Amino acid sequence: MTIRFSVNGVGFELPDSRGQDTLLDFLHEELNLTGTKLCCGIGVCRACTVQVVKPPSPAPVPTISCSTALATLDGTQVSTIESVARNGRPGPVQQAFLDGFAFQCGYCAPGFVMAARLFLSGLRAQPVPPDQLEAAMMDAIGSHICRCTGYVRYFDALRPLAEAVNAGEAIEL
Amino acid sequence: MSAPPVSRAAPMSRRGFLRTASGIIGLSVLGLPGRGQGADVGVPAPLGPVPGVAAQRIEGLAKVTGEKVYARDFRARDMAGWPDHQWHALFLRARTTQEAFLGLDLSSLPSGATPTRVVLGSDLEPGFFDAPVEFRRDLHIDALLSARAEEQRKTAKVGSFNLPDGLSFDLLVRPGTTPNFLGQAVALLLFDSLATYRAARRFLAGDDGIVQRYGPGDGPDGTPLPEQPFDPRTLYVKDPDFDYAGTDAETYAREAPQVQARIREALDAATGLIRQPIRAEMRAMDPMFMEPEAGLAWIDPARKEMQLVLGTQSPDGDVRNIASMFGSKASPVRDLSQVTLHSCYPGGGFGGRDSSPFSLMLALAVAFAEGNPVRLAYDRFEQFRVGLKRHATVAQGTLYAHADMRLEAVRLNMVFDGGGRRNLSPYVASLGALCAGGSYRLPVADIHAEALHTENISGGSQRGFGGPQAYFAIETALDDLAAAQGWDPMALRRANLIAEGDTTVTGGPIEQSLNLSEMLDIAEAHPLWAERAAIRAGHEAEGRTYGTGLAMSLQAYGTSGDGMVAAVHLERDGTLTVQSDAVDMGNGSATTLGVTIGPILGANAARVEMGGYTLFAQTGLSDDSANHQRWSDPMWTQKGTGSSSACLTGLHQVNTVQQTAQALLRGSLLVGAAKLWGRGPLSADEVVWEAGALRPAGGGGAPLTLATLARAVHEMGLPTGALGHAYFQNVWAEADFDTPGGALHLQLDGLAYYRGSKTAPLPIPRRNGRYPAPETQRYSRYVWAPCVNVVGLTLDRASGRVQIENVLSVLNAGHIHVPEMVSGQSQGGVAMAIGYSLLEDMPPGMAGPADGRWNLNRYHVARAGDVPLGDRYVPGARAQELITIPQPEGSKRVGRGIAEAVMCSIPPAISNALRDATGVRFASLPITPEKILGELAP
Repeated sequence: MTIRFSVNGVGFELPDSRGQDTLLDFLHEELNLTGTKLCCGIGVCRACTVQVVKPPSPAPVPTISCSTALATLDGTQVSTIESVARNGRPGPVQQAFLDGFAFQCGYCAPGFVMAARLFLSGLRAQPVPPDQLEAAMMDAIGSHICRCTGYVRYFDALRPLAEAVNAGEAIEL
Repeated sequence: MSAPPVSRAAPMSRRGFLRTASGIIGLSVLGLPGRGQGADVGVPAPLGPVPGVAAQRIEGLAKVTGEKVYARDFRARDMAGWPDHQWHALFLRARTTQEAFLGLDLSSLPSGATPTRVVLGSDLEPGFFDAPVEFRRDLHIDALLSARAEEQRKTAKVGSFNLPDGLSFDLLVRPGTTPNFLGQAVALLLFDSLATYRAARRFLAGDDGIVQRYGPGDGPDGTPLPEQPFDPRTLYVKDPDFDYAGTDAETYAREAPQVQARIREALDAATGLIRQPIRAEMRAMDPMFMEPEAGLAWIDPARKEMQLVLGTQSPDGDVRNIASMFGSKASPVRDLSQVTLHSCYPGGGFGGRDSSPFSLMLALAVAFAEGNPVRLAYDRFEQFRVGLKRHATVAQGTLYAHADMRLEAVRLNMVFDGGGRRNLSPYVASLGALCAGGSYRLPVADIHAEALHTENISGGSQRGFGGPQAYFAIETALDDLAAAQGWDPMALRRANLIAEGDTTVTGGPIEQSLNLSEMLDIAEAHPLWAERAAIRAGHEAEGRTYGTGLAMSLQAYGTSGDGMVAAVHLERDGTLTVQSDAVDMGNGSATTLGVTIGPILGANAARVEMGGYTLFAQTGLSDDSANHQRWSDPMWTQKGTGSSSACLTGLHQVNTVQQTAQALLRGSLLVGAAKLWGRGPLSADEVVWEAGALRPAGGGGAPLTLATLARAVHEMGLPTGALGHAYFQNVWAEADFDTPGGALHLQLDGLAYYRGSKTAPLPIPRRNGRYPAPETQRYSRYVWAPCVNVVGLTLDRASGRVQIENVLSVLNAGHIHVPEMVSGQSQGGVAMAIGYSLLEDMPPGMAGPADGRWNLNRYHVARAGDVPLGDRYVPGARAQELITIPQPEGSKRVGRGIAEAVMCSIPPAISNALRDATGVRFASLPITPEKILGELAP
């Protein structure tokens, strides 16, 4: 038996014996993808958020990589922060966070980026009434911990993008 | 998948040297492995095209795309020239201070979890710890320590790793002795494979005591004894005839106790004074920076060089301490010739990475890694268990006031729980004592502060540095006084505001405009305060309990003497590089320093290299305290460099970079421009920068781009870079320097020019220097970041849960370089203060994180839902509004403190708001629902 999954489009096949290893350790130690961050290691702070597509659902979901065993990833497609920028150009969420000075030390930023992208993807698929947008943002990124910024600038940076996507604007995420 | 980045030498190597017992050890601090900060990020001008304005953080793209910028991101394979294979280090930690540590029994470790090597305290030669280190932190306190060290030199046990006077404890507990504190390392386990290391970690997770043996043995080794204070204690006594600042050290030490007795007697006898008890206590707080401490180290056998990859706030102290330790005659590493630090962006700091013992633990591990690179990476449980904390504190005393609201005196005793290691605890206590005077004119003071050695986790430098504890004590007592006398709390504060010309509790003068009255005006007129009764009524009508609280703080920043160094280079392609000894913990120092040169040199920096502590070595200056010529030696300065904080950047580092940029402009670029224009000498007033080019203010010459000027100065042999050193002690040291542009008067005490080379500038001896008066050192602090906070909150009486509805912060931040970062710093300070006040609860002893089982599921920091997310007050909505005081026309473009200033007075404002809401004083932080329900129970 093996565990098959992909990370940023590259396929991997691992023996079952690796099943208890965490996704975060695999990213760091084997793929040298250290953009996904370890903070608490118990799935509370959400700094290690990546997105995972687990068929049959085509919709990616935020996943806490520090607490996700490789055994649970068979058949999935994992995307990490390293997949977001294209040819060195930041994605819209990354650009919004940059322009808005949303982060300071930046250690939590990759987790916020991944969660925010998924939020916007979900919003595009299923817009919400404008008066519920703030609550939807809170649902999406309100559990992420940031110790530097006090969160205000993250929300301020994401809000215009969320409003645009919610209004049906075509933004390539 | 992209290829992993590899290390290459940073553009500049800044070397220094330390003379040790076994010879001279070179010290180097390099930039981030792989690149300098801000360079090579695929953005030619990351700070943007408008001089003086930041379009984004200079390192922002690297951080938001997940590039390797933190120490935790690096492995040996990422480092050029290192072996790929790395070992892994794990320290086992003391679980009791009641019995002696006897050794390990690893027989229960499962197969596949056996360490390659085990190191105990008995494996180290005692002399290894015989490593006194010169660590100059706060000069007026260091002077006390030096005097005491001299006194004790022949009798004290020397066991220090960061102290001049030997008061510290072993890095590894020696078997047979009792640990000095919980979490003290008892053993180092080294693993040559990741799989084995992980297996051992899994087995030991939550209880590494199962392999430790304890029993009868010797008591704890070293001094001070438990519950005794670390040296020195701080006593500020002040009356009209005597104070700390106005008395020499020897006289003060002799007479202060008598003056203290005199003050107490007089206050006890003063029947006409109103007495208000002060009583406050605060739990320890974890800085909870997001990146648990991690690092990488290797000893290059060919070069006898120890290389470390670290994210630290104190690169100077770290490399000096390591070199000092391994320079001892009993060092396990013989003939070490060089210590090199690759300085990474810290994933948060807040003071918790300032003088952290982590770097020494990493260095200790690599000494036993048999030539292999070694990685030490704490997980969050370990970080909670051993990371430096804000001190738990108890403050007790009395405020004395006249019937007309005038404050007469403060008597206060502050006891900080210093925990296991001395670290910076006495310095923190000392600043706490100064802050205890609050923002007020106090003719008489009797303030004592000390940090006790206990079994608890070590305290250290944390945001506010003793200020949060002091302001909580004084500002809650003021409100209690107002309530007891029926006074308006705003009026009470207004009646006692300290101002220019007044003196602090040290007797040191206030020589900086504070604008406290104007700030109170703004707060008083703001609807959050002015309409508080109506807001309260509105909430009550809907069944909610509401209260409004006010508090002020006057956060001192810097130390009693600060040295800074900076370089500005004009590259051949016309781009600018700034180098600084400061560290950017995320507070935006690199960005601020990168844009502050914009108005002077016509463009923002394309690269900013931080953490260049050993830039100082290039200045040609010496800060040898044994040099009796002192300032009369044109190449002497009082202090080379120190630790980093956002506050220090705002004033000290910014001014140093600006002065150095002026030296480059006036000493080189204007000379080149005059030659190109065929004109005589030019002054800075005769030119303007416009659209990225320099032109004569009155016309008559073709605009010169920076690229043109760069080519010219490089070809003409003019300076291509300037290196400036500055010293601030109440005033800046100033001097004249002879340059190609003539004699320049600068707020620098050292200047050197680079010509092409970036490593060997030519120092220029200063002339006509004006220096700080020596006695000003005893003022303790000279510059201040005042803040007034108003908090409106609701309380759910059923659950005891408090919600912060609104925060108003009126801040005198000085000149604001990057408004977005100022507001971000302020908002971060608000969130941290809310956590400190209401959420972050950390018991001492093994009931707390010293047991190794604490993480974010038990220690709750503020999340988005806990803070008001609006940024402008709107009735009925939650917001935190920041109002900054405009600077007078013509004032210098330098800043003051931000996050520390804002956060210091929020905890007392919250407690005052709860008192307003409930009539009950909550004087113990954090104010948890349990405490509230307990107090409000019928």
